[in-house]
Amino acid sequence: MPEIKVTPLGAGQDVGRSCILVSIGGKNIMLDCGMHMGYNDDRRFPDFSYITQNGRLTDFLDCLIISHFHLDHCGALPYMSEMVGYDGPIYMTHPTKAICPILLEDFRKITVDKKGETNFFTSQMIKDCMKKVIPLNLHQTVQVDDELEIKAYYAGHVLGAAMVHIKVGSESVVYTGDYNMTPDRHLGAAWIDKCRPDILISESTYATTIRDSKRCRERDFLKKVHESIERGGKVLIPVFALGRAQELCILLETFWERMNLKAPIYFSTGLTEKANHYYKLFITWTNQKIRKTFVQRNMFEFKHIKAFDRSYADNPGPMVVFATPGMLHAGQSLQIFKKWAGNEKNMVIMPGYCVQGTIGHKILNGQRKLEMEGRATLDVKLQVEYMSFSAHADAKGIMQLIRMAEPRNMVLVHGEAVKMEFLKGKIEQEFSIDCYMPANGETVTVTTNPSVPVDISLNLLKREMALGGPLPDPKKPRTMHGTLIMKENSLKLVSSEQALKELGLNEHQLRFTCRVQLQDPHSDPDTLHRIYTHLKSVLKGYTIQHLPDGTVMVESIVIKVSSSAEDPNTKVLLLSWSYQDEDLGSFLSTLLKKGLPSGLC
Amino acid sequence: MDADCVLLLPGVCQVLLDSGRSLPDDTTLEKLLDWLTGITEADKEGSLLEVHPCLLEFISFVVCKTSSDPSVISFTLKLCGLMGATEDGFKRLQESSVLDLAFSRQHWHEAGLWEDPCIRIGWIQGLRSMLLHSKALSFFVQADLTAQLLQLQTDTSLFVASAANQMLAHILLFFQPVMSAGCNTIGKKHWEDKRTQASIIGPGVTMDTSEDYDAVLAVTSKYLQESLVPKENTQFHQSLQTLKLLGLLLAQARPPLRDQLLQTAADPLEEVVTAGCSQLTLPLMDVVLAAYSSSTGEGVPDQHVARLLSSMLTMSKPADLIQAAAALLSRGHPDSVHAAQAVRILLLPLDLITGQALLGTNTAADKHRFSMVDQLKSKTSCISMICVCLTNTPQISLMPADLLPCPSASIVTAVLSLLRICSGDSSSSPAGCPEVFRNVISSGKVQKSALEALTGLSSSPGVKGMLIEVLAVLIEYLNHPDSDPIVLHKSYQAVVQWLSVCVDLSFTTDKLQQDLVEVVKKRVCDMRWEVRDSTVEFLGKLAGVLVSAKVAPDTSEVLLGGCCSASLLREALQDPESYVRASAISALAQTLAHSWQQGAAPTQQQTDIVSRLLEILSQDTEGFARRAVVQYFIAWFSSRSSSTSRSPSTSTCSTSPLLMNSVSTVLSLGSADLDWEVKVHTLELAELLLDEAFLGHRGYRKGSDTHLALPHPYAVVSDQTCTLHTHNRKRTEGMDSDLAIRLKTLVEQGVFSVLLSGLVDCDRPVSLKACQLLIKFRETVCPVSIEAPEETVAEVSCELPGWGWGQDISKTLGMTMSDQAKVADIAANGAHVFDSEDCKENVNKGGDSVCVRVCEVLRSLGLDAKLDILIQSSDHVHNSPLSLLQDILTAGAAHSHPDTQPGQEVIVDCY
Repeated sequence: MPEIKVTPLGAGQDVGRSCILVSIGGKNIMLDCGMHMGYNDDRRFPDFSYITQNGRLTDFLDCLIISHFHLDHCGALPYMSEMVGYDGPIYMTHPTKAICPILLEDFRKITVDKKGETNFFTSQMIKDCMKKVIPLNLHQTVQVDDELEIKAYYAGHVLGAAMVHIKVGSESVVYTGDYNMTPDRHLGAAWIDKCRPDILISESTYATTIRDSKRCRERDFLKKVHESIERGGKVLIPVFALGRAQELCILLETFWERMNLKAPIYFSTGLTEKANHYYKLFITWTNQKIRKTFVQRNMFEFKHIKAFDRSYADNPGPMVVFATPGMLHAGQSLQIFKKWAGNEKNMVIMPGYCVQGTIGHKILNGQRKLEMEGRATLDVKLQVEYMSFSAHADAKGIMQLIRMAEPRNMVLVHGEAVKMEFLKGKIEQEFSIDCYMPANGETVTVTTNPSVPVDISLNLLKREMALGGPLPDPKKPRTMHGTLIMKENSLKLVSSEQALKELGLNEHQLRFTCRVQLQDPHSDPDTLHRIYTHLKSVLKGYTIQHLPDGTVMVESIVIKVSSSAEDPNTKVLLLSWSYQDEDLGSFLSTLLKKGLPSGLC
Repeated sequence: MDADCVLLLPGVCQVLLDSGRSLPDDTTLEKLLDWLTGITEADKEGSLLEVHPCLLEFISFVVCKTSSDPSVISFTLKLCGLMGATEDGFKRLQESSVLDLAFSRQHWHEAGLWEDPCIRIGWIQGLRSMLLHSKALSFFVQADLTAQLLQLQTDTSLFVASAANQMLAHILLFFQPVMSAGCNTIGKKHWEDKRTQASIIGPGVTMDTSEDYDAVLAVTSKYLQESLVPKENTQFHQSLQTLKLLGLLLAQARPPLRDQLLQTAADPLEEVVTAGCSQLTLPLMDVVLAAYSSSTGEGVPDQHVARLLSSMLTMSKPADLIQAAAALLSRGHPDSVHAAQAVRILLLPLDLITGQALLGTNTAADKHRFSMVDQLKSKTSCISMICVCLTNTPQISLMPADLLPCPSASIVTAVLSLLRICSGDSSSSPAGCPEVFRNVISSGKVQKSALEALTGLSSSPGVKGMLIEVLAVLIEYLNHPDSDPIVLHKSYQAVVQWLSVCVDLSFTTDKLQQDLVEVVKKRVCDMRWEVRDSTVEFLGKLAGVLVSAKVAPDTSEVLLGGCCSASLLREALQDPESYVRASAISALAQTLAHSWQQGAAPTQQQTDIVSRLLEILSQDTEGFARRAVVQYFIAWFSSRSSSTSRSPSTSTCSTSPLLMNSVSTVLSLGSADLDWEVKVHTLELAELLLDEAFLGHRGYRKGSDTHLALPHPYAVVSDQTCTLHTHNRKRTEGMDSDLAIRLKTLVEQGVFSVLLSGLVDCDRPVSLKACQLLIKFRETVCPVSIEAPEETVAEVSCELPGWGWGQDISKTLGMTMSDQAKVADIAANGAHVFDSEDCKENVNKGGDSVCVRVCEVLRSLGLDAKLDILIQSSDHVHNSPLSLLQDILTAGAAHSHPDTQPGQEVIVDCY
């Protein structure tokens, strides 16, 4: 039976670096190629040596698909294509292709900033890699080769995020990447056809998290910023170049407008222009409200948000600053943090997850005394807030997607094992389908039962109808008998005569023979007659003939009798039958092996 | 271990014991283990458990209770193995009855944890760390762990199965008997590339270990014998794993072990070879080659192994055959007979498709011909086989002529024919196989492989004369309307490569040059930015190749038929895609390099380019283009100074005023840029000015010309600390006044300001580079070893702006506003601090800005301390063990805090 195999090299029972290998219909597809920001060595990249025998990924993989621009999904891409040497097709949506290099550059900077970093990709590698990317449009079926096709669907989450439907013949898999089933301020909700894939591979970040509504979080965020500003404090929001920063900017811009606030909002290092450019360029990927209002006013042209200069950090009075990088581990955000940390009126809002070792991680865990360079200690007096604005489907959203796509099996990835376990139970209970949650390196194998299309000859259908069969109806499947032939890569069900003709073959008769010994102290003709009588009594309704040539015939089965040379009482019966009467032939040989009843005349 | 860490370690152990669930960061435990591994390696005495009893308590508790999170248990098993790696540590663990329990599979099975792959990984890796001494080996054998480990070979987890293999290989190799003969190093290079290396330098078998070792070897040998041959046609997993194990072993086994392994595996290997299982071809070839290499290392190859190798090269399935032949070549050909055979196999598909008779006329010898044709008719296998074949052609063409069935030029011709067939033209292959043509026509995969092969074939012997033919096909590809961007990119690469080898333009024709010009003109306006970028890059590389080959100055222009690549590149400066703009700038630099080297006066065109570049530097919204601009000036400046051997004092005078004026602008714009790499490149430019000003001066040593060695315009700058020098100065007045002049020039050019603003930059690479340059500056101008600099030098001053970096520098200097006012007063009164009239004016005018003496600034900034901090970088916070331990402790505290609300939980999501 055909199988589909799913092996996570990353994102199996964790939220590290997504990298999932799918083997379907003889094709190998890699889904995402993420990086783990928590490591400084080779552990940050997926280890491809587990999946190739000769180290040549290009020979092994048919294509690579990137779901969105977050680094835990695309961060290892230049490593894979320029350093490991994968040279096959890479697919991602247009916005992802445009934004990916910005994020990769952003991370390269962070990496170069660290001491002793080696073996990391360069800017040129990022560019060379992006030049190899084939952009995808939503809902457009792309033929990777003669057998493999892929189709992208809107996933929400971030600008350009896509789910992807992978199809080889009648087998298919859907990979969700990260997705969001509720629209937010700048993006719409994920959507997919009722494509009934064999496997739906879904992220499960918020598999069990009871999340307060997004509106609630937004209100809370605005309230905290406002309070801090009111008491004359400064608010620092460390962000990555693109993504949730834009959502928070829209939020603050609207709020400032409504409340007529005067405190300045700054955005560091010219990122707003870049973001504006991409959001304008890919306006069709944003949500309906933004698209509608775009003509009157571009949501991403901010009136209140100005470019930041480092000298502003020392200005007196309240202000809000968006600064990179998002985990407070280097650069401008760290520099501002150091300046403002000592004042309890100030506030830092961390809008996302921070890896171990970063200042962001430390302050979120509650550290109040930080050892800085040169053994200096920094007292953290400012208020620290964590507000995750990342847009993932929660349990309800995941169930909603399952209802939409109606998969035959589920595979959960990109989540914590404990949470997955809970969701797995829920899915299996509600949908009665198998749900798997492989750890990294483990393979899920799902057997598929593919439907193979077969053409039926008109003659065969006519003959069937002539025998009183019903008219063909696609809604009422039924059994047809005929000869299956394969010609020019297609299957046809035809009558055996037609098959012989089409294939240019001669008809041959196949007969089975068998010898049965029995003890019967009669002459050979008598024994034959006794057999005839016995069969007549046992096989009612069958055509049984005693022929003058010394044989008995039951349908196509021929029975002959001869005596053994050594012992005339030992009779050797020779049975021969055509393959159409195979069942009857077997039955007769078994019957005669038991001997003849004594009462026969 | 650091005293602070010692204090924290018990608390950390407690946190790990208390946490009923995994820590919020999944990297923490691995980093903790990394740190402890480092400490264990340094601790030769193995006294870690004694010094830190909390570790033993922790291991013991986790192992006994089994209630911890699986990730903590896995960590503990690894830690346990690590601690048991020394005999003392092992003894201590055994005394505490920890070992039996920790490495008992039954124990974890009963606890319901064995199913979790992370426990199995911990179990294997723990054992692996521990098995470094005879006592551990005895423990391993007595606990009958060999069989259990062998079972894990076929684990459902790739990671577990691979670790089990590595572990078995480690035991057999590490403890293998020592013979007087040298260990096998043949084929070692290849195996060194493998992911995890089993160390071959072990203690060897001694009286203590021989019995245990034999026990492990016996069980493993039996397993090898039984599991090498797949039982059923569909179950290859076990055979595959066993072959991998055998491959690992044979690559490093010394004679007694190697002979034993070969003896054990010979018959099953033959059976596997005969069975011809496609899935096993590559690992099987690895094993056979490892066996072959190791046996040839002793002199005469083992006949049995040689037969196996021959069998591999006569397999019936063409796809397997191709794989085996490719594996043989990639591992380095063991002997000429087999190498020649592999070459014939690999060239066969190319021969068949193109009909180029690469294998000569006596093709009857190639018994695979018919089956190969059959396979080539199937599209998937055709593409796959031809790609493998193409990948190997460059290597084949470089092999000794006696191994080749045809000259290299024939291979090039065949590749060219294939490229023509791919684009739908089969006219050059009348003897080819038309039934296969349809499989390769328009196949991007084959086109890419063929173009790569063609690029590689350029350096083959005797192919230079084919340049015209090669260029014709490549231009056809560049012209083809359906060529995808990657195919075009590879075509350009091939053109550059062939031209770099055959720089003699007499090989080309006017028609070809004209065609190339036309196609480049067309592609530079392509709709796709990828194509435009490749075209622009091509123009730059072409210029670079021809300059480095020292051909006639205007060769590139000649080659491009006077189409003037510079004008195309100037157009490309307006490209909407920043990548293309950046490539155009660096291509321009390469195009103009020759005229710069000649020291020719800039043309009007070059002047226009310069003003456009300065515009880009000040206005372009993308960093790539701005970085390229600074790199352009670096290239200009350095090519000019490297080409002439003028004395430092005269160099500035002979430099083009256009360049010097531009450099000042670049320094001022670049240092104020938002992009960190633009700033780093600006500092590199400043370094060139420093080099030029001080070269030859006592104490000054030119820094590493990192920028010249960079492979491309946006390469990462390597952080090389500059050499500091001690000075044994013998002053002369003339030299000092000369130095003062140079110093003043540098200040006027803005070099000093660039360095100071870089020093207080928030991006570490920028401040590090600036700090290094400032120290170099100081050591030349006013070294700390000299009490006071000469008066003329000491009097040179510069201006610090009253905002931004100027303020930060003032703060660093400890100057309060009142100090500044005082300085300004002194200046106004004509006191000795300032001697520059300009500076006085600025102070009086600007109000905020302040004048300071360069030497005083250099001596007061605390540059050496700052350099120490910058070299440590943010790593000091990120990666120190202390930071890690503190993070675990605070995470534990946050986790157990009663006030923590569920909504405030930090969720691991995405980034």
